[in-house]
Amino acid sequence: MGATSNASPAPLNSALSSFPSLKALKFTTKQQELLIRVSALALIYVLAFVVRLFSVLRYESMIHEFDPYFNYRTTLFLTKNGFSEFWNWFDSESWYPLGRIIGGTLYPGLMVTAALIHRILHFFSFAVHIREVCVLTAPFFASNTTLVAYFFGKEIWDSGAGLVAAALIAICPGYISRSVAGSYDNEGVAIFALLLTFYLFVKAVNTGSLAWSLASAFGYFYMVSAWGGYVFIINLVPLYVLVLLVTGRYSMRLYVAYNCMYVVGMLLAMQIRFVGFQHVQSGEHMAAMGVFFLLQVFYFLDWVKYILNDIKLFHSFLRITLTCAITVGVLALSIGTASGYISPWTGRFYSLLDPTYAKDHIPIIASVSEHQPTAWSSFMFDFHILLFLFPAGLYFCFKRLSDATIFVVMYGLTSMYFAGVMVRLILVAAPAMCLVSSIAVSATVKNLSSLVRAKSKSPQGSGKPLSGSKAAAKASADQSLPFQKNGAIALLLGALYLLCRYAIHCTWVTSEAYSSPSIVLAARGHGGGRVIFDDYREAYYWLRQNTPPDAKVMSWWDYGYQITAMGNRTVIVDNNTWNNTHIATVGRAMSSYEHEAYEIMLSLDVNYVLVVFGGVTGYSSDDINKFLWMVRIGGGVFPVIKEPDYLVNGEFRVDKGAAPKMLNCLMYKLCYYRFGEMTTEYGKPPGYDRVRGVEIGNKDIKLEYLEEAFTTSNWIVRIYKVKPPKNRW
Amino acid sequence: MAKGTNDAQLLIQSLRKAYASTPTSLKIIDLYVVYAVATALIQVAYMAMVGSFPFNSFLSGVLSCVGTAVLAVCLRIQVNKDNKEFKDLPPERAFADFVLCNLVLHLVIMNFLG
Repeated sequence: MGATSNASPAPLNSALSSFPSLKALKFTTKQQELLIRVSALALIYVLAFVVRLFSVLRYESMIHEFDPYFNYRTTLFLTKNGFSEFWNWFDSESWYPLGRIIGGTLYPGLMVTAALIHRILHFFSFAVHIREVCVLTAPFFASNTTLVAYFFGKEIWDSGAGLVAAALIAICPGYISRSVAGSYDNEGVAIFALLLTFYLFVKAVNTGSLAWSLASAFGYFYMVSAWGGYVFIINLVPLYVLVLLVTGRYSMRLYVAYNCMYVVGMLLAMQIRFVGFQHVQSGEHMAAMGVFFLLQVFYFLDWVKYILNDIKLFHSFLRITLTCAITVGVLALSIGTASGYISPWTGRFYSLLDPTYAKDHIPIIASVSEHQPTAWSSFMFDFHILLFLFPAGLYFCFKRLSDATIFVVMYGLTSMYFAGVMVRLILVAAPAMCLVSSIAVSATVKNLSSLVRAKSKSPQGSGKPLSGSKAAAKASADQSLPFQKNGAIALLLGALYLLCRYAIHCTWVTSEAYSSPSIVLAARGHGGGRVIFDDYREAYYWLRQNTPPDAKVMSWWDYGYQITAMGNRTVIVDNNTWNNTHIATVGRAMSSYEHEAYEIMLSLDVNYVLVVFGGVTGYSSDDINKFLWMVRIGGGVFPVIKEPDYLVNGEFRVDKGAAPKMLNCLMYKLCYYRFGEMTTEYGKPPGYDRVRGVEIGNKDIKLEYLEEAFTTSNWIVRIYKVKPPKNRW
Repeated sequence: MAKGTNDAQLLIQSLRKAYASTPTSLKIIDLYVVYAVATALIQVAYMAMVGSFPFNSFLSGVLSCVGTAVLAVCLRIQVNKDNKEFKDLPPERAFADFVLCNLVLHLVIMNFLG
């Protein structure tokens, strides 16, 4: 059912006849269509991979950001030491002195995938380093996602929609943002697993086959092993089953599909140590179990109704069963929730339902920039034309309602809600947007091109006015036939123009916004040439080469993963943020006076302190800008730290009018040590902070318990050595 | 009250009569389902008596019973000639799917048993 309907082989033949050697390759229409489809898919596959390679070409093949460094370190460990060591790994190099049970607190899917690819490549004698595999894992899986999107689109609508879906998702910025080369993070693999699970489940519902349902259970297992966002699947699928039951579209196929997927999927998911028994104990997974029992009761009643053939008797039976089932269900649920056996929704997911919850109760979740609500500009930036194609696609879905389109509509609507609550979840909405939009594009283009191809019939006396709008493009024979054809051609050109703008926008967005490694910064120098700041890696390698191997480094939790991965030193807190009190201790140390902080640092055996300072270069994600979060998190556990102490009239200042506690706290001293003598900008006094835009208040800083160990060439990372306690005499 | 018991008796009788007409193959599958559910209930009763440690073993035991019961019901649905949706599905294919799913289920159970 592709775009070609009755295209005669004549044009192709005339072209072929000019190449006498190719005449033997006369294709039938069906074969031509297959060739076009396969080549289009191959090009889309390559495109999805290539568009994500900007940062590899501009900088080098390296891992970006913070979290991927932890994933890289664990993958390295896995390739060196094997799976059994990895699964039982206890890491004493982070969260000193607590350590971290890595084997039981991570999602192994990504690491196992990369290690597997690495092993396969080595088996075929491609001796690549694991780092290259890690860097290119996400683009590879993005290409695979386009294939799955094609099959999914084919399942929902037809192969034309599948092709458009594949093309749209290949370059969609919402997906690219977390799957560029170098972004070695769980989402790169998880979105592939998500779409695969959904596709296999919809296929199972459409065919009613146990084999497809088993495949979707395996897809679900892969998703659970890859990302914590699997909770979305285990809640969306039961919701979908419920909707089908309520709207009366239930069938035997639904029973087969859901039950096999739920039971086998749940068992498989419990094999991941990090997930554990959550499928039977956590409130977030109870919807699936509830729907499972509901399905059993529902279909049992359906079967009894079928064999009884008597309405009145069945009604009495129905009454008895329903009362029993409802009492048992409500009783079990209330006892479970009241006794605490069924744990309530955790803060991370509860803040999706109540967005104000995190700001009041859990400052660590609120402080992450990816967890903020989404602005309209982000939607436009990440989705472009998909934003208005999505409602159009919804219209087409409702016009031709089937089990599969209901699923895609529900997926689209729920994911759009969550994308509005948290910026990071735009990623989950991206495949849904692409699928639904592809239906709109494909259906419209097909209608328009059938209009263009319509053979001109003799005009009949129908007074239907010309409708040039997209939605009403019905090919009715009327007097204004040539005008209609021109209108259709114009609209087709318009659609082509829109899609071209989409492609241009996506490429521009990828190139400008989503290809920066975050660990290497670039800026324009005075002469317009590019200046690279490689300070982070400079500092980590200094740590690696100039400190004793058992040195402990205290820094804010953002840099923990990078310090352990590149500096190879023990850290106090890192990005896992599993222990809020430990982080609050570090926050308290950073915001106390130097002598108080020294007590805390001695108790934690800290040897070095690392801070990030952007005042010389104008780099705005430095520790002074994050300082208030340190105060809030520290103050959340230790009431001795009070946020108003650091503010002046509610304002955060670092110049002469700043609060005295701010001017003398450890973070201020460490960031601005010796900065008072530095001239950063022409025409400004020495000690001018380029990020805050003021001259600092306390220029004459003396450190009593620490000494400066290293400052990078652009002053971005500063490392201080903690002096051992003085001798008693 | 008498009407209630009368109703219940009538209900049970008509259920028995209607069920008697199902083919033997389906009755065998139903027996298997009943056996599996009974085993699950016995395990839950035992857990209530002796406590739930180790929880993974309890879960794997119960879920293997529930899982195989549910898969048997799916097999029954697919093999039942009265279901028009599965008219084109050969019963051999349905049984092969059933065996495959049970195989996967029990492999996972063996890993989870601990």
